[in-house]
Order: sequence, then C-alpha cells, then structure tokens
Amino acid sequence: MKASLGVFALALGASFAALGIVTLARGIRRSDDSLLRLGRRFVFGVLAAGILAVLVMEWGLLSHDFSLQYVAENNARGTPLLFTITGLWAALEGSILLWLLVLGGFLAFAAHKFRARATDPLVAWATLVGLVIALFFFALVLGPANPFKTLAVVPSDGNGPNPLLQNHPLMAFHPPMLYLGYVGFTIPFMFAIAALITGRFGEGWLTDTRRATLVAWGFLSVGVLLGAWWSYEVLGWGGYWAWDPVENASLLPWLTATAFIHSVIVQERRGMLRVWNLSLIIATFCLTILGTFLTRSGIINSVHSFTESGIGPWLLTFLGLVAATGIGLIAWRGDALRAPGRLDSPVSRESAFLVNNLLFAGLAFVVLLGTVYPLLAEALQGRRLSVGEPYFERMTTPIGIALLFLMAVAPALPWRVTKGEVLRRRLLIPAWIGGLTMVVALGLGARGLTDLLVFGLASFAFAAIVRQFYVGARARRTAYKEGWVRATARTVRSNPRLYGGLIVHVGVILIAIALAASSSYSTKEEVRLAKGESVTVDGYRLTYLGNTVTVSDQKRVVKARVRIERGGDDLGVYAPAVNIFPNSTSAIGTPSVRTGLLRDVYLTLISSPVEGGRVTLGVAVNPMVVWLWIGGGFLAVGTTIALLPVLRRRRPEAPAETPEAVEPDPVPA
Amino acid sequence: MSHPARWIAIAVAVVVVGVGVVLATQVGSDPRADTTTSQLVGDAAPELALRDLDGNPVDSTSLAGKTVIVNFWNTWCVPCREELPALQSFAARHHEDPDVAIVGIVRDDTLRTVRDHVKAEGINWTIAMDPGSRAALAFGTRGQPETFAISPDGIVAGAQIGPANEDSLEKMLAAARRQAG
Amino acid sequence: MVRRVLPWAALGVVVLVVLVWAAWPDGGRATPRERARDLATELRCPDCEGLSVADSSTSSARAIRADLRRRLAAGETEEEVRRAYVDRYGESILLKPEGTGIGVLVWGLPVVVLVVGAGGLALALARWRREPRLHATAADEDLVDETRRSDQV
Repeated sequence: MKASLGVFALALGASFAALGIVTLARGIRRSDDSLLRLGRRFVFGVLAAGILAVLVMEWGLLSHDFSLQYVAENNARGTPLLFTITGLWAALEGSILLWLLVLGGFLAFAAHKFRARATDPLVAWATLVGLVIALFFFALVLGPANPFKTLAVVPSDGNGPNPLLQNHPLMAFHPPMLYLGYVGFTIPFMFAIAALITGRFGEGWLTDTRRATLVAWGFLSVGVLLGAWWSYEVLGWGGYWAWDPVENASLLPWLTATAFIHSVIVQERRGMLRVWNLSLIIATFCLTILGTFLTRSGIINSVHSFTESGIGPWLLTFLGLVAATGIGLIAWRGDALRAPGRLDSPVSRESAFLVNNLLFAGLAFVVLLGTVYPLLAEALQGRRLSVGEPYFERMTTPIGIALLFLMAVAPALPWRVTKGEVLRRRLLIPAWIGGLTMVVALGLGARGLTDLLVFGLASFAFAAIVRQFYVGARARRTAYKEGWVRATARTVRSNPRLYGGLIVHVGVILIAIALAASSSYSTKEEVRLAKGESVTVDGYRLTYLGNTVTVSDQKRVVKARVRIERGGDDLGVYAPAVNIFPNSTSAIGTPSVRTGLLRDVYLTLISSPVEGGRVTLGVAVNPMVVWLWIGGGFLAVGTTIALLPVLRRRRPEAPAETPEAVEPDPVPA
Repeated sequence: MSHPARWIAIAVAVVVVGVGVVLATQVGSDPRADTTTSQLVGDAAPELALRDLDGNPVDSTSLAGKTVIVNFWNTWCVPCREELPALQSFAARHHEDPDVAIVGIVRDDTLRTVRDHVKAEGINWTIAMDPGSRAALAFGTRGQPETFAISPDGIVAGAQIGPANEDSLEKMLAAARRQAG
Repeated sequence: MVRRVLPWAALGVVVLVVLVWAAWPDGGRATPRERARDLATELRCPDCEGLSVADSSTSSARAIRADLRRRLAAGETEEEVRRAYVDRYGESILLKPEGTGIGVLVWGLPVVVLVVGAGGLALALARWRREPRLHATAADEDLVDETRRSDQV
C-alpha cells in the first residue's frame, strides 16, 4: 500500500511539474496573465508531492516495512531511531527524494518571493526552468531510481544501513546540508537562463537571486566542512580530506560559486562581466549535476560508492542538455551581452576580483582535471591510473597561496583607482605583522616554504581585516560617541555585506592556517602495548588500561581504553573502538580524538586485543585541526551577517564635522 | 565583429562534448574490474621462503618441479570460508597427483587460531604462515582470498582475485600445466 | 620616492631572508625512514579506496611501509622502488601520475590554462583602459564650457 501511495505521490509531482510547464509556456507565448498566475501555483503542488513522498518513505522506514526494497536494503529492526530516519538518504533512490523535497522547497520559496511579479516574463521563464529540472528528477525516481519498488518475498529483517552510515549522528546533518547547498544553486541558475531567454540580462536577476546564491553557498560550505569533520572524527583514517572523487565533486561547485559571489559585485558596480557571471552560474549548476553523476553512476571508485545503478546515462544526458542549453544561449545572445563598462586601473578592487576569479577558475580546473583524468586515460589509452593527494597538493598549493595574498590586499584596494599612499596607509602595518609572523614561525622551527608563506600571509590578511573593523568602529565612535562594542556592531550593520564577507575571510584564514599546520607537522606512530604499559609520543604519555566489549542489537563494540597525560596532567581516558555489525564482513573502526586548541591526540584501534592482551594502537598528534571547525563557524556566522539588511543610517550628532560617506566603503582613515 | 563570447562558447562546447563522450563510454565499465586481473601472470613467480604450521620450511626449492596452487587466505575473512569447500574438493581430487602441490598462505593471523581452524575443517594441504605479509606483498595481493597457479618451471600461469570455485581452480591448473609444455 | 618605498623594501628583504634561511639545505640526507614515509605518500594502498600507503592502517599498507623501509635501506632508489611496485600492481598504484604520454596533459594543462587566463586578463585590462567606448563630441565640449561659465563659484 505504501509503495502505491509513494509512486502516486511521485506521479502527482511529475504531473504538476508538467502541467506547470505547459501552462507557463502558453502563458508566456500568449502574454496571458491569468495563465502565468495559474502556472506558478503548480510549484506548490510539486512541493506538496515531494513532502508526501518523503513522508511515505519515512513511514516505511519507521515501521520497518521490509516489503519495500529500499527499506529492506537500508534498514533493520535493530537500527536505532536516528539512523532509521536518516535512512531516507542512505542510498541513491532515497537521496533523490530528499533532493526533490529540497528543490520543491526552494522553488516554492522563489515562487512566493516573486509573487508580486508573477506576470513578469523573466519570473515566468525562471519558474518554468525550475519546473523542468523538477520534472527530470521526478522522471528519475519514476524510472531507474524508484525507491518504492516492492519485494515479492518479504524478508524477516532488513540489511540495515551500510555500517559507515550508522556510526555517528553527523549522518543526520552532512547530506542534508550538502543538498541544501547543491539544490540552492538551482535558483540563480533558473533566473540566469530566464534572463538569457528574455534578453534582460542587466542587473535585475542578479540582485533578485543574490541572497539565494549566498544562502546556497553558505550551506554548501558547511556541508563540505561537515564532510571533512566526518572523515576525521568518524572514518578514522586519520585525515579530513582524501581528494576522493566524491569529495572533489562537492568542492567543484563551491569553487565556481565562490568566484561568482565575488565577480557579481563587479557586475553590480560596473555593469561588466555579464557573460562571465552567466557562465559561472551555469557552470556551477552543471557541476552539481556532474557531481551527482560521478557519485552515483558507479563510474569512479570511492568511499562514497555505496550503490551503483543505471542512472548514469540519464544524468549524463541531462547534464549534456543543460550544458548545451547554457552554452547555446550564451552563444546566441553573445553580441547583446557586451557591456559598456571599463576599468580605470589594473590596480583596483575590480581587477583584484578579476584575479580572484582567474585563480578560482584555475583551482576548479585543476580539481576537475585530476578527478576526471583517470577516466580520460582509460578511455583514450586504456591505462588504469590513479590521481591522488600528491598531485592535488602540488597543483593547488601555489594557487591557494596566491589567493591568501589577494585576500589580504584586495579589501584594502579602493574602487576604480589606487594611489600608493592609500595602500601604504592601509597595508603597511599588516604586511609587517605578516613578515614578523614568518620570523617567529621560523624561530619556532617551521621550515617548509609553503608553511611559512601561509602563516605570514594569513596573519597579514588577518591584521588587515582587524584594521578595517577598527577603523570603521573608530569613525563611528568619533561621530556618534558610542562605545567600542556598539560602534563595531553598528559599523557591521551599516554594511553587512562587506563586514560579513570579512568575517568569512577570517574563517578562511583560520582554515588555511589549520591546513598548513596539520599537513606538515603531524606525527604518526603505531604502538603495541600490554595492559598497564605506557608509551610517550610527542610529549604525550599514553597508558593502555584495558578493553571493554559492549553488545547491542545494532552492533558489537570493542573498545581499548587509553589514558592520556602530558607534563604530569591527566588529560582523560579515551577509547578508540572497533564496531562489528552482524550483516557486514568488515569491521568499522571509530577513532577517539582528544581535541585541543593547539593539538589533537588521535587514537585508533588497529588490532583487537588478543594474544596476551596486547593491543596495537595508532597514535597521531595533529596540530591545529580544531581551527578547521572554528573557521567553519566563522564562515557560517559571516554568511549570516552578510545576509542581514542594511541598517539605516542615523543622523550624526555633529553633522558639520563628520564625513558623509556615500559609497559603502570602509571610511578611509 | 562578433563578441568573443561566441567563439569561447563554441570552444568550451567542443571541450565539454569531448569530455562528455569520454565519460559516456566509461559508464558501462566497472572501475573495480582492474582488481580481477593480476599483473603477475606471465612473470616468474616470487621466491617463497616460509614455514608451515610445524615449523618446517616451505620454499621454492621444496616445491620445484611441481605445479603449485598458492592460495592466500586467513581465518577471519568471510569469502575465504566460502571458497573452502571448493578448495577441499579440488585437493581431494588431486590428492594422488605427485606433481600437484597446494599451499595455503596465511597473513594477519595467529598461529593458534590457524591451527585450530585447520584441525576443525580437516584441511590436509600445506599451510604456511606469512609474518609481515612479505609473501603477500611479493605476489602483489590486494586482499584475500587470492589464488595463483604456478607452472613447474616457476612461471605464474593464472591468478584469481576473490573466492575461487572448482571450475576456476581446474582452469588455472590446466593453464599452469600447459605453460610448462 | 625612496622614502616611500623604503618600508616595503625592508619588509621584502626580511621575507626573503626568512625564506632563504628556511630553504637552506641543512646538511645530511633524509634518513631512510623519512624517505620511506615520503614515498609512502605517493603509493596507493592496494585494498583501500584511494588512500595512500602512508595514511592507511590496513595490513597491506603496513606491510608495504615496512617493505619500503627495507628496500631503501638496502640501497634501492625511489625510482627503482616505484618501478617494482608498478610491475607488481600496475600503474594505478602510483598516486602521482607519471609525466609521460598522456601524463603531460594532467601536469601541463593547468599551467597552460592559468598562463593563458592571466594573459587574457592582462589584455582585457589593457584594452579596457586604453579605449573608452564613448568619445566626447564637439557639442558635448560646448555644453561643458557653457555650464562652467554659468557656474559662478
């Protein structure tokens, strides 16, 4: 019964999408306002259908209805409640239901937001494009990726989710965050296509969708970082980023979206780069589909390849159509897209944004090439190759360093034209702080060229940002006689985009420092200990206390308890574990991490305690890893601030003396 | 003169189509397929220098001139248990063959566990321990179980990654015999 | 002019000194253990999904790490060790693609793209600066003069 209800919901959604497309198309053709108003209502029908389908699936999961093939494969009676719920996105078919739900939500939000302009052809075309995309995904779940398939013989118990997917509560957050990011980019994309079709590619669509783009970017950033956190804290191989093809697939749209967020500012101010921005947003959307294709088609080996299915050709065809449409539209409109803007100087904030885009495009190209290269080599020469961390590190590090430098310098560059004096005033002291940081780092023992540059540039950038906040707050203090805290808050509220962006940059700086420190200065060892025995690694004294075994419906867990001490202080008992699931042959290791502000102690259980009670532990001391997550927090906070509305300016108390800055620039010192 | 965007768009389209075609041709193939063929086939077999469960040497000299089936396994690997019946019937069939030798090599396991398992299952062919997985490395194994067939003149004639069955074992044996001529 | 450049130049010197100091070879080759660890980051663990031998803790990875140490201590060069592993496991055991044949593409293309991109950007910047799209006509100039004259400031 559930299967029929589920399929009915999906069919309903597909019908609503199709009806909406037809209605809107006719409405646009005939300039018929009532048809246009009707057409957009189908969007809410699509959302309703998506909600219904998800509810049916959750019902099946929660009631352990093993007559549904998806439930039998991804759920078992012993599966805890949380992982039963998250089973919705444990495998391909359910993931697409989640995608449809999120897409329905975003489309409904856009339809609601633009309800006053429902009869505007731009909005109508955008809604139409959105419904076409929704229709495609409905076709996927009604066709090759049907989550409501039934089994003729109902098993007494299911397989349960893949052990890796029921090990940690983070499973509840990582995929939905990623999807909120991926799917969110549909909105700027559909408006970009609408703009190309209607020929109205001035600034309108950009400002209309700016916030949606920023929201999607924020979610994607958090989703990617959650993935890194999961990799580190749950998977237990000791690192947070493996340059795995699926990880790269999530990074690619993030890179183009970051480039877009920056170059959009140039378009808003100078009216330039229209073609480039349209291409970026189309590329971002294509990359989200490509990423889904790489993850789900079974074409690439990956830790994420949980299921393989026949949707590969469908996704590839869809991707081809989207790319062809985008490229075709741009080629068709080519002449009309030329913008009348010009740049006054190669050293200005505008050109810094252009360099930013060049570097991000370069990064995206490197990651894409490295990921797709093994496939190319096999197709063209029949060679089976791997491309892994050494390649990606070597290629992305120089670009990353250039971006750090840019991040330090660009916010200080004025618009239009730079005078040397301005640069000196704004950057000299931060630059010296960066240089001195390098000296200190050298003194503390850092020897890698890359690391020194990263530390120096990071503190340079940080000092420049702090200076900008300080200058802005100080001006307000003088003008409005406010305290520091209030002045800073009001400064931020007066230009949330700028200051929110600067906070995001702080997050990036922290992440850069964490990346440099943890990749170059980690220690990793394996130790074999008997009960009560101790060993010292990198200043930490580890004592093996013994092991415990716990058995539950879900799994059997063997833990090794280890006490960590440093300099005489007891830092606690940590227990790396090995989890054995009844329906799986391999055991899943869970690391135990003592997180510190400067260093993490990372313990893994390599061999089960047998043979006279000796145990083999993996011990790693990783510096600065926590700053990755703290940086992520800054990213989230900064994005939220950037989305705030501008606080209207209050009249100053001493109008004659205070400078009335009209441009939303930091008040020049 | 048309906007350069037009030409760039066409160039990008060509590249995208090219890459797309490449990806499309790969959709059918299984990336894990490369794990079903071993590089070792056709090369000289690595030297063996191990000891069996009683401490007696198991090495290339003691196996010289025989067709050897080498099977990498251990007691806690589930597919190894699945292939055990096939190995046992194969061993029974060739029990009287003086020129066929079966050697099971165990890595990542303890002597006692292996001894108990061998006794319980009635395994009657030579079992050698591989401390440090050196033999496994020498053979380029990617996991277990893996089975190799070595001809009397020391060339690896066949390899199977994953559980073997009677059919594949016989085929490997035949290939090894053919190899020597 | 010199006064204005001086603080920047001094900073440049400091940074340069730091970098040179750090890069100065500190004598003594890397130990076999260090070389083995570096090499381990370049080899893929055969029974993992893309992890390097250095990062993986499977038994294969540990056996390979021990083997690398043994080989390097016995005097083999990194290249010989790589060759041996490629012979045994195939090309996909290397995480860093070789620069031969199609490998030229994967190492060279990004550089080409960045150089071409930078060149294009420089060209575009130059063009945007030098050619304003609109030129003032005589009528425009007259209008400006008229306005100036009438503005008694």
